[in-house]
Amino acid sequence: MTTGDNLLDEFRRARRTGDPRITPEGREILRRITSGDLADEFADSLAMISQNDPALGSDDQVTPTA
Amino acid sequence: MIVVDEYLAVRSLVGDLPADLPDDFLGVPISAHWRLLQRIHAPGNGQLSQLLALLPENDREALRSPHPHVVEILDPRPYLDEAAQISARFGGTGWLVAEAITAALHHGRELWYRNERNIGARTRIIAAELGVRILVAR
Repeated sequence: MTTGDNLLDEFRRARRTGDPRITPEGREILRRITSGDLADEFADSLAMISQNDPALGSDDQVTPTA
Repeated sequence: MIVVDEYLAVRSLVGDLPADLPDDFLGVPISAHWRLLQRIHAPGNGQLSQLLALLPENDREALRSPHPHVVEILDPRPYLDEAAQISARFGGTGWLVAEAITAALHHGRELWYRNERNIGARTRIIAAELGVRILVAR
């Protein structure tokens, strides 16, 4: 591998490893929110934020159920 | 650079990116990051908010200010005028849609999502008209 290849590989690994500040406890919470039992509630909450902020735009997402 | 939604931005922070997401630098539009910040700083009363309130400070800091080597918060200023044109031409889209579409036009003509519910109807229509692909990582 060239120096450039090695550097790009380091960048890729850093990107795929995630942020070192994330704790095991936080990782579990964030996984539940983004790919677990709370994923749809998270989408609804984001839609609600847009609905309440006219600058963001209010009519582009699913209607929040919560 | 791949433009991603809030879900993929958070998953990048925990080192849990879907295998089918292309291996490239990740960028999240500032309006999407704004929504994430709103959820952190102005929590509601539901289970989601209660869980977010339990996040350790280190994790909250990572969400608030992500390292750009993991996910970059995209600077919209260079294409602000284009975003305004898109918004105006499509009947006033609001900042969230206009910024996401414009960011995609500048970064690979793709928008990556993790959850179908996070893709708006107008985003789909405008993306199709402008040749931007909407993709969902599994």
